Amino acid sequence: MSSAIKLDDLRKSFGPTEIIRGVNLDIKKGERHAIIGPNGAGKSTLFHLISGRYNLSGGHVSLNGEEISNLPPYEIYRKGLSRSFQVTNIFPILSVFENVRCSLMWSEEYKYSFWHLVDRERKLNDRTAEVLEEIGLTSRQHVPAGVLTYAEQRALEIGLAAAGGADVILLDEPTAGMSHSETDQAIELIRQITVGKTLVMVEHDMGVVFDLADRISVLVYGEIIATDTPENIRNNKAVQEAYLGAEAEHA
Amino acid sequence: MSDIAKVQNAVMPASLLKRFGPWLFLAIGLMVLPLIFSSNLSVYTMNLMGIFIIFALSYNMLLGQSGMLSFGHAVYFGLGGFMSVHFMNYIEAEIFVVPIVIVPVFGGLIGLVFAVIVGSFSTRRSGTVFAMISLGIAELIAASSLIFVAFFGGEEGVSGDRTMGPEVLGMDFAQDIEVYSLIAFWAFVTIALMYLFSRTPMGRMANAVRDNPERIEFIGYSQRKVRFISFCASGFFAGIAGGLFAINFEIVTEENLNALTSGVVLLMAYIGGVGFFVGPIVGAVVFTLLQTLLSNYTEIWQMYVGVIFVLTVMYAPQGLTGLVAMHIPAFKMKRLGTLAAPYVRAGVPTLLLLSGIVGFLETIHHVRSAAVGETTMSLLTIEFDTHSATPWIIIAILVVVGGYLTKTQMPQLKEAWEGANAPMGSDEGGAS
Repeated sequence: MSSAIKLDDLRKSFGPTEIIRGVNLDIKKGERHAIIGPNGAGKSTLFHLISGRYNLSGGHVSLNGEEISNLPPYEIYRKGLSRSFQVTNIFPILSVFENVRCSLMWSEEYKYSFWHLVDRERKLNDRTAEVLEEIGLTSRQHVPAGVLTYAEQRALEIGLAAAGGADVILLDEPTAGMSHSETDQAIELIRQITVGKTLVMVEHDMGVVFDLADRISVLVYGEIIATDTPENIRNNKAVQEAYLGAEAEHA
Repeated sequence: MSDIAKVQNAVMPASLLKRFGPWLFLAIGLMVLPLIFSSNLSVYTMNLMGIFIIFALSYNMLLGQSGMLSFGHAVYFGLGGFMSVHFMNYIEAEIFVVPIVIVPVFGGLIGLVFAVIVGSFSTRRSGTVFAMISLGIAELIAASSLIFVAFFGGEEGVSGDRTMGPEVLGMDFAQDIEVYSLIAFWAFVTIALMYLFSRTPMGRMANAVRDNPERIEFIGYSQRKVRFISFCASGFFAGIAGGLFAINFEIVTEENLNALTSGVVLLMAYIGGVGFFVGPIVGAVVFTLLQTLLSNYTEIWQMYVGVIFVLTVMYAPQGLTGLVAMHIPAFKMKRLGTLAAPYVRAGVPTLLLLSGIVGFLETIHHVRSAAVGETTMSLLTIEFDTHSATPWIIIAILVVVGGYLTKTQMPQLKEAWEGANAPMGSDEGGAS
C-alpha cells in the first residue's frame, strides 16, 4: 500500500539512444530491494534519475507518495532520499570527521548558517562521533578523506549516505572491488544502518544480493524483466536466459 | 576525583591559550609594530599591508575556501573604495556626518550589494565559467568607470579628505600613524570575522563545495547557494579593504578596480598559500614588502614578483605557508636539525646562482635603459662598468658554478628530506 519509491514509465535517452526504456517499479516502505542486471543495463542511470542527478526524458518518480521528478538532488535529499555512489565520491581534502559532519549539517537544521560555530555545537559533534563509530573510522577521523584506503573510503561513502537520517537509502554497488572479509563487514554495516529504513541497492555480488534483499528487480537493457523474491528470481526462466546468459557470455 | 579536577585545571588554560593565544598575539603584534617600525616609510608600508591583508583574505574566501577562481575581485575592492571616498566627501560637506572609522562599513556594504548582483548569476557554475564571467564583469566595471564620471571621477578618480569627520579618541586622522590604528583595528576585526566564518556550517560547506561540488547536492545543499553566500561575504570584506584604501590614500581611481589589481590579489593569495587561512596574510605581507622595499632598489621589481609567482605555481603550489607547513612533521619528530646542514649545502650554491641571475638581469636592464654614455652602475653598493668584461665574467661564473653546484647538491637534500620525514622506526617507539 504505502510505497517508498514509485517509478512510473521512467525513460531516459542520451541523444538518440534510449538507456532506460519505460521502467515501472514499486518499492515498499521498509523493504530491502536490490536491482541487478548485466553491465550497461542502466542500473546506475536509474539511480541517477531517482536521485535527481539526471533529468528524466519521460515518466514520473515519486517518493513516499510525493512527486519528485526532475527536482534538484538537494530537494530530493531534503524529502528523505539519500544515496551513495559507485565511484567513490567524498570530500578528499576535508578530514574524515569533517566529511561526516558536513553530511549531518542539513539534517541537524543548520542550513546555510553563518552564526553557529561548528566546534561549539556539541550535539552535532556527538552525532558525528557516533556515525564514525558506526562506520568504524573513529581512529582515522583526523586524516584527509582522500588518503583513506579503498575499503575505508567505501565505508565513508556509505556513512555519508546514511548519516543524515534519510528514510530511503540508495546504495550504488556498495561492495564493488572489496575483498571477501571487507564485503562481509560492508554487509553488516549496511544491515545496521538500514534498520527501519528502505534500502535500494545496485549490486553485482550475488552473495550480497541474496543475503540482504527482500525483493530483487532484474534490469536488462533499460527494462525491468522481473521483480520478485530472491527465491523466485533464482528460478525465473526469463531471468536465467536474459541475465545469467548475458553474464555467462560476459565472463 | 581530585586527580580529575587537577587534570581539568591543567587542561583548561592550555586550551584557552590555544584558542585565544593567536588572537592575543595578533592584537599585541598590531599594537607593538608601530613602536618598533616607527619611520614614515614603515608606517606607510604597514598601512598598505593591513589593507592588502584584508583584501587577500577576502579573495581567499573564494579561491582557497570555496574553490572559485576569480579574475575580477578588485571590482568589489574598488567599488568599496569609491563609495567610501564619496562618503568622506559627504562628511566634509556635512550631508551625512559619521566618524571616519565607520566609513569602511559603507565600502563593505557597496561591495556586498554588487557581489549580490554579480553573484546571482556568476555563481551558477564554478571553474572556468565562473572565472570567465568574473573577468568579463571586471572589464565591464573598469570600462564603465571611465564612462560614469559622476561616480568614478573619470581618469583622475575621486579624492577626499579623511580629516573632516568628528574626532575619535582624540584622533583626526591627519597623521599616517592615526590611520594605522584605524587600519589595525579593522584588520583585527575582519581577520577574526573571516576566520570565524570559516568555522561556521556555511564555511565548512564552502570547503566541501571546493572539494566536491557535486556531492554536496546529495547531502542537502545547493552548491550554487553555498558559492553565492561565500561570494557575497567575500565581496563585503573586499569592500571594507577598499574603504580603508580610500581613507589611507584619500584618492581612488580606476586603477583600483581594474584587472591589474585583480591580478595582484590573486598573486598575493597564491604566493602566501591558498590552502591555509594565514596564507594570504603571509602573501600580502611579502608582496607589500617587495612592492615598497624592493622598488627602492630596483626598477624591475615587478619582474621578480612575477618570477616568484611562477616559481610558486611550479614548485610550491601550497605557497610560502605550505613550505613552512611541510616542515611540521619533521619538527614533530624532532628531526628538523638533521635538515640544517643539507639546506646550507644546497642553499649556498642556490644563492650564488640567484645572485648571478639577478646580476645579469640588473646589468642588462641598466645597459638597455641607462642614458647614452653612462656605463657605471651600482648594485648593492658595488660600482662597476657595464661595458667592461669583468662584471660579465663574474656573472657567468656565478651562474655556471652556482647552477652546477646546486644541481649536484639537490640529491643529498632530497635524501635528507626523505630521511627526516620517514615514519618513525619501531626502535624509536610509536607507530603513528
